[in-house]
Order: sequence, then C-alpha cells, then structure tokens
Amino acid sequence: MTHWTHTLAQFSSVIRNGADFAPGEIICPNYSVARGVEVYRNNYRGNLHDTLAGAYPVMRLLVGEDFFRVLAKCFIEQHPSRSGNLHRYGGEMAAFLTHFERTRHLPYLPDMARLEWAYHHAYFADDLPPFDLSRLASVAPDSYGDLLWKLHPGCTLLTSDYPLSQLWLAHQAGVPDAFDINMNEGGEHVLVHRNEEGVELIHIAPASCHWLLRLQRGLPMGVATEATISDYPDFDLATALRHYLAQGVLVGFDIAGEEG
Amino acid sequence: MNATQGILSAAIGGLLVMGLVGNAAAADMKMEKCYGVAKAGKNDCGSKAAGHACAGQASKNSDANDFVAVPAGTCDKLANGSTEPAGAMMMKK
Repeated sequence: MTHWTHTLAQFSSVIRNGADFAPGEIICPNYSVARGVEVYRNNYRGNLHDTLAGAYPVMRLLVGEDFFRVLAKCFIEQHPSRSGNLHRYGGEMAAFLTHFERTRHLPYLPDMARLEWAYHHAYFADDLPPFDLSRLASVAPDSYGDLLWKLHPGCTLLTSDYPLSQLWLAHQAGVPDAFDINMNEGGEHVLVHRNEEGVELIHIAPASCHWLLRLQRGLPMGVATEATISDYPDFDLATALRHYLAQGVLVGFDIAGEEG
Repeated sequence: MNATQGILSAAIGGLLVMGLVGNAAAADMKMEKCYGVAKAGKNDCGSKAAGHACAGQASKNSDANDFVAVPAGTCDKLANGSTEPAGAMMMKK
C-alpha cells in the first residue's frame, strides 16, 4: 500500500510537474521513455483542457480559443484533478481568475465563471422528489417561524455588478451574433436552477434573492422573512413561497429545535 | 415577531388551501425566464467530446503562443467591458 502510494505520487509528479525519474523506473514499450511521458503529459493536460472548455464555453468565446488554452494551462498547473469524475473538475475557476493578471482588465470574467460553474453544477445535480405539501399541513402554525427550508443542492444564487445573463445569452447557439451589451448598465440577481425543462437562468427580484440567501444560510423562515421585509417592505412572502416550492427550488424543511 | 407570525400564517395557510398549482408567477415577482442548453458529458472515453483523452495523439506541446496571447474573443465587442484602453495589454509585453 505504502509502496504503491509512493509510486503513484512520484508518477503524478513526473506528469504534472515534469519531475525527474530514475532510469528503468518507467517502462514505455513503443516510444522512448521521455517521449512516452510527453504523450502522457499532453493527454493529461488536453483532457483537462477539454473538460474546462466544456464547463466554461462562454468564457472560452469571450477570451478566444487560443487565450483560453493558455488560461487553462495555468489553471491546470495550479489545480490537479482530484476526482475520478471529470464533471467535478474546474470549480475553482472564479477564484483563480480573481488572481490572474492577464484577464484583470476584464472584471466581469470571474462572475461569468461563477455563473457557468453554477450552470454546470445544476446540470449534473441529482434529482429530488417534488415537495410533499401534506408535510406542511402537519406543522403547528406556532412553529412556522422555525421552519428551516432546504434549497435544492443544485441551485445557486448569484449577484453580479454586470448584466451577466444577458452576456451569457448572447453567446448561446442560435442567438444572432450581434452584441449590443453595455457592461455598465447595471447588475442583477440570478438564480441558476434545473427543473423538468432543463437548467434555467432566472432573473430574480432583489427581495427574493435576499430571502432565499438567508434560507440557504440556514436561518429559520421567521427570522429570514423579518429581515427581508425590513429591507424590502414590498416583499410578498406568500407568492415567493408558493413560487419557489412549485419550481422545486425549496425541496423540504426541518424544524428548528427538533430532530430532523 | 407578531406581525411576521401573521404573515407566515397567511402565506402557509393560503398555500395549504390553494395548493402549489395556480398563479405562481405573480406580476410583482419580476420573474424572467432566460435560457437553457444541453451540455456534453466529459466522462465517457468513447464520446467525441472526450476523444482526446484516450486517443493518445497529442505528443507535442501546443502552447507556443503563451507569452503573446491576450484575450481576443467576443470580449472586444462589449461596451465598457474593459478597464484598460485597447492595446494596453500588448504594450506591457
């Protein structure tokens, strides 16, 4: 076990960082060892590049294929693949971009990476059964304030200073290749969520975003609603609750102070 | 909390009476459906998208332009999309 762990770590280091290996340590039947290692290394990178290109198609169009290749190479050097499931690779892109000098002049790019990862995440999230309303009927009205709503684990709430979803939409296939987007025209709140139709990007009102974020952080419905109404007096709880239950965004609840 | 309790009771009470079906998208929700597209899976070695992974044909490094490459996609088309004047990135090199 220790022997194999050591061997694998060493091989990983050869492939990822170009570390040296001792003569005879690697056997490559069809090529010279150096060339075999190069093939392996390029396939490792090429595979992760393709994975990133699949997860971040809009970003790739924004910066262009050639630059995306450079960007992906830098990302791959810093982020080894840690799962056998390639769909989990690349989630650190937004954080990576906030420190990437060469795209610093494109300040909306990290937000686009967040949006694309949210889309990717929603697409591959597990299905959950629809909410059973009869469970709610068995809750005593005195406990309504203690309800701890659970959001679908595949959904993401995003707030950006830029017109993100408009930018995203302009890059989808079938949309005319015309850009009339002013990045200064204001930000938005977006909910990324998958329903029966597929993944959707939904503009949501600031009050709804405020409320859902608090529920997502684990605040009881009473506290969350009070905070939202205090900031947004027009917030309509009845409509929001029904809408997000019907959409499958809210998928269940626990009750604060009770065993789940 | 009393006012809030009233709002919660009304909201959940209404929900239990009317169910989830109905006029969910009320005007004041300002909901706007955007768009969704199918994604290609990446885990299948045999798929066209991931053919590169198993084919073993990439023996040469194709990163020759590392140091001259600048973002040059649709980002150039956006109004107010850059915090630097055009060409500034090139001059730094």
